[in-house]
Amino acid sequence: MAGEMLRFVDRQRQMPEKTAPEERRLHWDEIYARFAREKAAQQAGRCSQCGVPFCQVHCPLHNNIPDWLMLTAEGRLEEAYEVCSATNSFPEMCGRICPQDRLCEGNCVIEQSGHGTVTIGAIENYITVKAFENGWVKPIVPSRERTESVGIIGAGPGGLAAADRLRRLGYQVHVYDRYDRVGGLLIYGIPNFKLEKDVVERRAQLLADGGVHFHLNIEIGRNVGFAELREKHDAILLATGVYKARGIELPGSGLGNIVAAMTYLTASNRKGLGDAVPEFDGGMLDAAGRNAVVIGGGDTAMDCVRTAIRQGAASVKCLYRRDRANMPGSQREVANAEEEGVEFIWLSGPEAFLGDAGGPVTGVRAHRMRLGVPDSSGRQSPEPVPDSSFVIDADLVIAALGFDPEDLPQLFGEPALTVTRWGTVKAALGTGMTELPGVFAAGDIVRGASLVVWAIRDGRDAADAMHKYIQERAAANVPAVAAE
Amino acid sequence: MTGNRNDLEGRHFVEQWRETAAYLEANHAYDPEWEHGSCGVGLVAAIDGKPRRQVVEAGIAALKALWHRGAVDADGKTGDGTGIHVQIPQDFFKEHIRDTGHEPQAGRLAVGMVFLPRTDYEAQERCRVIVESEVLNHGHTLYGWRQVPTNNMVIGDKANATRPEIEQVMIANNRHVPDPRFELDLYIIRRRIEKQIAAEGIKDFYICSLSCRSVIYKGLFLAEQLTVFYPDLLDERFESNFAIYHQRYSTNTFPTWWLAQPFRVIAHNGEINTLRGNRNWMTAHEPRMASDVLGDNIVDVLPLIPRGSSDSAALDAAFELFVRGSTRELPLVKSLLIPDAWEKRDAMPEHHRALFSYCSSVMEPWDGPAAVCGFGGRWVVAGMDRNGLRPLRYSVTGDGLLIVGSETGMVPIDETRVVEKGRVGPGETIAVDLREGRLYHNGELRDLMAGKQPFTDWVKRIRVLDQIIEPDHEEPTTYSREELLRRQLQYAWSMEELELVLQPMVADGKEPVGSMGDDTPIAVLSDKYRGLHHFFRQNFAQVTNPPIDSLRESAVMTLTTRLGNLGNILSEDASQCDLLQLASPVLSNAEFQALRDYLGDAVVEIDCTFDPSGGENALTEALTEIRRQTEDAVRGGAVHIVLSDTASSASRAPVPMILATAGVHTHLVRQSLRTFSAIHVRTGECLDVHYFAVLIGVGATTVNAYLAQEAIADRHARGLFGELSLVECLCSFTDAVDAGLLKIMSKMGISVLSSYRGGYNFEAIGLSRTLVSEFFPGMSSRISGIGLTGIQRKVLQMHARAWDEDVVTLPVGGFYRYRRGGEAHAFQANAIHTLQAAVANDSYATYRRYVEQVAAQPPINLRDLLDFREGQRPVGSEEVESITEIRKRLVAPGISLGALSPEAHETLSIAMTRIGAKSDSGEGGEDASRYRPKPNGDNASSAIKQVASGRFGVTAEYLNNCREIEIKIAQGAKPGEGGQLPGFKVSKMIARLRHSTEGVMLISPPPHHDIYSSEDRAQLSYDLKQINPEARVCVKLVAQSGIGTVAAGVAKAHADTILISGHGGGTGASPQSSIKYAGLPWELGLSEVHQVLTLNRLRHRVKLRTDGGIKTGRDVVIAAMLGAEEFGIGTTSLVAMGCIMVRQCHSNTCPVGVCTQDERLRDKFTGTPEKVVNLFTFVAEEVREILARLGFRTLDEVIGRSDLLHQVSRGNPYLDDLDLNPILVRADDGEYVARCTVDYNEVPETLDARMIKDAEPLFRVGEKMQLAYGVRNTQRAIGAKMSSAITRKFGMYALQPDHLTVRLRGSAGQSLGAFAVQGLKLEVLGDANDYCGKGLSGGTIMLRPPTNSPLQTYENTIIGNVALYGATGGKLFAAGLAGDRFAVRNSGAVSVVEGCGSNGCEYMTGGIAVILGEVGDNFGAGMTGGMAFIYDRNGTLEERLNPDSITWQRVETEHWDGELRGLIEQHVNETQSSHAARLLDNWDRELGCFWQIVPKDMLDKLDYPVHADDALTVSSGVAD
Repeated sequence: MAGEMLRFVDRQRQMPEKTAPEERRLHWDEIYARFAREKAAQQAGRCSQCGVPFCQVHCPLHNNIPDWLMLTAEGRLEEAYEVCSATNSFPEMCGRICPQDRLCEGNCVIEQSGHGTVTIGAIENYITVKAFENGWVKPIVPSRERTESVGIIGAGPGGLAAADRLRRLGYQVHVYDRYDRVGGLLIYGIPNFKLEKDVVERRAQLLADGGVHFHLNIEIGRNVGFAELREKHDAILLATGVYKARGIELPGSGLGNIVAAMTYLTASNRKGLGDAVPEFDGGMLDAAGRNAVVIGGGDTAMDCVRTAIRQGAASVKCLYRRDRANMPGSQREVANAEEEGVEFIWLSGPEAFLGDAGGPVTGVRAHRMRLGVPDSSGRQSPEPVPDSSFVIDADLVIAALGFDPEDLPQLFGEPALTVTRWGTVKAALGTGMTELPGVFAAGDIVRGASLVVWAIRDGRDAADAMHKYIQERAAANVPAVAAE
Repeated sequence: MTGNRNDLEGRHFVEQWRETAAYLEANHAYDPEWEHGSCGVGLVAAIDGKPRRQVVEAGIAALKALWHRGAVDADGKTGDGTGIHVQIPQDFFKEHIRDTGHEPQAGRLAVGMVFLPRTDYEAQERCRVIVESEVLNHGHTLYGWRQVPTNNMVIGDKANATRPEIEQVMIANNRHVPDPRFELDLYIIRRRIEKQIAAEGIKDFYICSLSCRSVIYKGLFLAEQLTVFYPDLLDERFESNFAIYHQRYSTNTFPTWWLAQPFRVIAHNGEINTLRGNRNWMTAHEPRMASDVLGDNIVDVLPLIPRGSSDSAALDAAFELFVRGSTRELPLVKSLLIPDAWEKRDAMPEHHRALFSYCSSVMEPWDGPAAVCGFGGRWVVAGMDRNGLRPLRYSVTGDGLLIVGSETGMVPIDETRVVEKGRVGPGETIAVDLREGRLYHNGELRDLMAGKQPFTDWVKRIRVLDQIIEPDHEEPTTYSREELLRRQLQYAWSMEELELVLQPMVADGKEPVGSMGDDTPIAVLSDKYRGLHHFFRQNFAQVTNPPIDSLRESAVMTLTTRLGNLGNILSEDASQCDLLQLASPVLSNAEFQALRDYLGDAVVEIDCTFDPSGGENALTEALTEIRRQTEDAVRGGAVHIVLSDTASSASRAPVPMILATAGVHTHLVRQSLRTFSAIHVRTGECLDVHYFAVLIGVGATTVNAYLAQEAIADRHARGLFGELSLVECLCSFTDAVDAGLLKIMSKMGISVLSSYRGGYNFEAIGLSRTLVSEFFPGMSSRISGIGLTGIQRKVLQMHARAWDEDVVTLPVGGFYRYRRGGEAHAFQANAIHTLQAAVANDSYATYRRYVEQVAAQPPINLRDLLDFREGQRPVGSEEVESITEIRKRLVAPGISLGALSPEAHETLSIAMTRIGAKSDSGEGGEDASRYRPKPNGDNASSAIKQVASGRFGVTAEYLNNCREIEIKIAQGAKPGEGGQLPGFKVSKMIARLRHSTEGVMLISPPPHHDIYSSEDRAQLSYDLKQINPEARVCVKLVAQSGIGTVAAGVAKAHADTILISGHGGGTGASPQSSIKYAGLPWELGLSEVHQVLTLNRLRHRVKLRTDGGIKTGRDVVIAAMLGAEEFGIGTTSLVAMGCIMVRQCHSNTCPVGVCTQDERLRDKFTGTPEKVVNLFTFVAEEVREILARLGFRTLDEVIGRSDLLHQVSRGNPYLDDLDLNPILVRADDGEYVARCTVDYNEVPETLDARMIKDAEPLFRVGEKMQLAYGVRNTQRAIGAKMSSAITRKFGMYALQPDHLTVRLRGSAGQSLGAFAVQGLKLEVLGDANDYCGKGLSGGTIMLRPPTNSPLQTYENTIIGNVALYGATGGKLFAAGLAGDRFAVRNSGAVSVVEGCGSNGCEYMTGGIAVILGEVGDNFGAGMTGGMAFIYDRNGTLEERLNPDSITWQRVETEHWDGELRGLIEQHVNETQSSHAARLLDNWDRELGCFWQIVPKDMLDKLDYPVHADDALTVSSGVAD
């Protein structure tokens, strides 16, 4: 069967068909079609089956990519799914939303040598679609139930990944979230056209069916005390994510219609889910017919610009202080956005928001930037070009400048929970345990705003650490249990 | 007479040697068992059986013409040993007795030639007492002792220092028994004396011979000094009807007198590869031995094989037992011990097959290259082993002498008196019945032996497996998916193993192929579970004996396994054939069941599992219990023991089956019970061929891998094997294992499984010494490591995991290819990228980061457990020698063009040339356009040109364009194996460079066909120093235990550099099990070579180089401290050129264009000379920094300074002890520095020196010339140096074909016309030896008998074995028969001979061979190009052809008719062959007797079609 592989020499890279930009502007569906069976197998067969698989090395989850590519190429989809899901709690998410061009695909050996990457993400997506279609994905049935319980704060990707893993081990898993739906960023942060919401809901249902208890609309420190929670569970995981939007303090930043990205995206997603969203209906968070300006160059900014397009904005511009090559967001997303009609204004930073005091914003004054000498991290820091100001018309400004952690010690009323100077929770390297015994932390709240795939990885690691912690404690308390 | 100075120096050496050797041995750095010997051998016999002085004189003369096959120590006098075995001149000795005043009795007296301790008088006296009392006890009497006159001036200091007191004891037949009985008494007496001496621990005592018939004179002098040292032999009364003589070439430089040959029965040229197995089995046979002849005295001769015997001495002991202790006569004993291959030989007559089938029922053969000459009283024989890898030529003279020897021409004889010239072919024996006075040729001799008993009836009693199993049997499955999974997990199987190893074994019936070296931790350093087989490294043959090609020469190989208890090997009756025969030791579940049912009560099954909660010693106790139960069962009459771990479960853990099997095998051997039963092993762990090999190698009779079968069934059920049925899948799996076993045996040069079984043909790395000595006695294990406690711990870890409830899938793996969570790999993603960034940006700071990344890895190599000893004051880095100096020592090792893309290959060469360092061309030639610098000054010609077994592109021109020539004996990734370049990789350019055809597969044979022994390797070295008198010669070896002595032999043969490659060396394609399980880390090999060379005072004569996974300057400095002077950096330099370890080199799809011939991919190559230069510069810079830190100014100062290293980690805590002391001990270097001080080792001149002088006008003004000389066999490689001169002066193609004609009369030495170029014509009137026309590069060679010779050309041998090996062009006309392997790997020469031996035209890829007579077996094996025409008068050719790659037909077209006739006409013109002329005279009739042999792949690629139909189609357009 080796003949199925290494076909990159004579087989071109092909992505699944993408909906035409003019069409996809009009709806919220995911933009990529699925591979047909032969196509997926053929594309998987392009893999070089490297001795050192850089794709795996650069995957936060260390997915065994070459292996499931081979299985896919050989038509052994169920095994492919087994391998795929062995390292990844939610492969159906990663296949859709991972910036593969910066991770596996970007490091793919045949990409690096100029043959065009193996379409890893699309194939992962294909595998998971088939897995769900064929009923290979089943609710968890632990081989035994354990009496110990764990509490997970946050139903985002990190929390859910931990929940999945701990439940498989037989723990009683309770997940608390302040929102009304399971999924965190997956449900409210990421737009439909990247991740359709039924995918998230389906996963939430699977977890619930597998015995994970979800406690929604629960805010720790308000509805339930943190100490109470610690009392109740054998271990706690903080997986709250980071939600505090980074502010933008410039002349005119108090003007109306200057909104934070997450507020904007959540409203849009809620709308899509059929919720009543007064601020949207009131027009403040709806870009329809307006000149929208998004500030920032990360993935969230990309989500915002493309959402604005779909809401029917008159124009969508993206202002970013570095150039295209130095932006943090995915190049693939930029390309998609450009196709859909977004205008990128590179090397430009906002100087002031224009408009009548108390009224809505009417424009953004920006100045040109240039990239200075690289700093120790090798990144070039931008500096303004003198006398280069220009004005852009704007009646909706979305600030997508990143997120900071909320003040958890204060929110939870737990001053002993120590945080770093950036506000992230201090967790021990290797175990993920905070300075509070039995309290673990994972995901963005530890590492700062990052990718979903990192949250999954952290959640899985934290689950392992919690398991070890609980078992060690159990072993210490009950010495009679036979050692190995 | 001896001067004091000599004595002192010699004695000093001996003392120092002994001390150092003992020290090294105590530190497990050296083992005398590793010594090897090989040599030249021969016999002379008076066919009428009447003694003549002429026979002795001929023997003495022959030795004088053999000197080049032996080695000489640095003192120019100490030989490796030589001797002669002749009849006792009774008068001579009787006169001596009379001189002492006694009157000898009538009848024969006996003479014992005895070596006594010389300096220890007390011991000497004690020896005499023992000898005398044993003689007297047996009823005979002594005439007394005679001090043998010797001339000690002719021997070297070292030999003199160990010289024994040499005396003869003369014995009277006082019991007045008949001579044969007297002879038997003397045998028993000798054995009793030997045992008594050994019991008293007396050293330096040895009886060369004790006989009333013959006497052996031998010692450590040069062969030509025999009669000077022993003037006795000049006495005219020394007459004999036979003389057996021998010249030894040993890797051992310590002068050991008694190892000189001949021995009591035989003299042996070769190497017994199965020695360890044979010894073990001999021990096993002993309890059952009973002899009518010896009677109760059998106990006196056992144990048969004394400790410390060489392989030849051990074989001799076996010969002697049969000759004296049974009724079998010498020719039959030879057939029994060294049988011919018979199973797959359709051409062999039925009664001969029965004879050999019977022989293999009696005992296992002694297998290995062996040319033996022996004397058994009535018979003298000269015989060859089945592979025929030693030359044995003979002449019969008109006055009744048979002269046999390793070379023709050793005994000068009048050509007109010769009535027959022949050779002893593979498996053959010729013999003289001295009593009847008759010479028996091979066929006659076999008829005689086969007629002695009704063997044909006897062998009908053998049953085969097919008779006991239903032809349409089913293969049931037992386990559920879950149980299968758990059991797989128990043995740490991974998905990788199933996909990468098992799948191809079943789907393709082949072992999987991989590429690049092994960069995972050696098993003992890994923190993962490693099956016990991971600790075993396969042995392989290098230099002293050749590996075999198990694919192309499969007829000599066999896996036949015979079941039944082994009987008394000394008896001869039909019941010895009551046995069950299996075609393979590998059994499927159903086959196993059938076997079990058939054997019934004779079987006892022993459970090999243990209780996981049984405490610390559970495993140890289980093993003891298994052995106890087995012993009970065998004593209770069980003929078959089944060791099984099928009972493993949640509550039972499996005992590692290698331990159980070895434990039982050694226990039974120790209890003298092993031959009473077969050991059948059922194990779940066994999956790959290496595991099977280890099980059989440690004693298993059959193996049933039941879990592998279940895994196959599971995959079969999932539809992963397409249309194959389950039974077909299992057959395919068995085929793959069988092929793998054959390959593993063949790389050690072993062809018979029964001799491989129980032979421990492995070495352990990382197994505790205690464990090894208990379970694998005799196997070497230099560094100790894991013991039973550690093994139990690992097994239980896996057991706990396997039966843990949460198990869902197999781990993904990572052993072959990196996977996160799997094994560590030395080349990891981040380090690769960092290094590439460093060389691309010329950033030493980035390189430092790479070094740190490498240092941060977990221990992978032994050197990772070492660190430098600091303490000396650092010096300023400006004081350390320059980067330029250090870089010169770095080498880009041999990677062939064919593996590498041309771009990558050239980039490396250019880079290395720029920095004044060397790159190695690798195998496969080099484009001549690279021999001249490019316009920008870059020189792409590799400084080192490699000569590998395929000899692709090795021409005179190639060899003259380099500074060094490297003989690649083995390569780290697949030592002992050949290779194939698949057709799709043979591009137009590759085909041109390799003189082959585009798109046609090329095969590299496993051995160099001109290196079957040390003396052969010395010869190749000599040839190369002739064809390029300025180039240093390097020999590339792969690290293994015993490599030190191999290297000593190499050093003695004038090599200038020895390269020790580690197991981690890369490869373009190699079987995975070879990449993983053969060869040792270079740390072990290098240190041993350095130690042994120092010990033997040879170190200063050779440079040592090492390679295999060197990645940093730290590695370089460690290598220097362990003894290396030069350092090869292969894989890392590829990484610098863009390689990212995709490990798909074998599939021609390298995405970065480094290792591919595909144009589209070559475009992606981004390497530059600058990047490579940067790498080597950084490494050198790092070396400087380390030297400065340690306080040294040059690398020279640290070479061999292993005391500057110390062990900083002893590996995992559960190991017994991982002790690297064996690689760190230093040998005392005495008065020589322990590094190379000799630039070039000169070799003696040959005839060419004269020729070049005489041809002065040719070189001065270009005149056409003819020269004429007489020639002897000692004049070798004639024409090579002349060809070098011509190539350098005129170029390889400039002269007319016969511009210089050299006429020679006599027997030319080996390698006649080696690499001869166009313009040189050699005409020989006489004959020539082996390797005639080796590497022929356009020259012409003609051989014919002298005009007055009475010989028929088509019946008599005129050239030796392996003619035209690797020839690329030119012509050879020989009016006579050629030896074996005629035109092997010929890729361009055109030749006409009148018959040839076996394996003719093997691996041929070009040229034409016309053979006007019979050919031997296996003609055209692996022949993928060129063409042959064979004259087949008797119509027997077809059964001698190997049909795998060739087709044959009559000559159908006019074109080929014309071509053939034209060549025969040239042959007649050149040689005046009357045979050939007769053929031409009757051409119309004779043409019908010719076959045209064409490789299948060539049929559609020839300019002229070979089929008449095709020709018609072409010419007239008419289709049939």
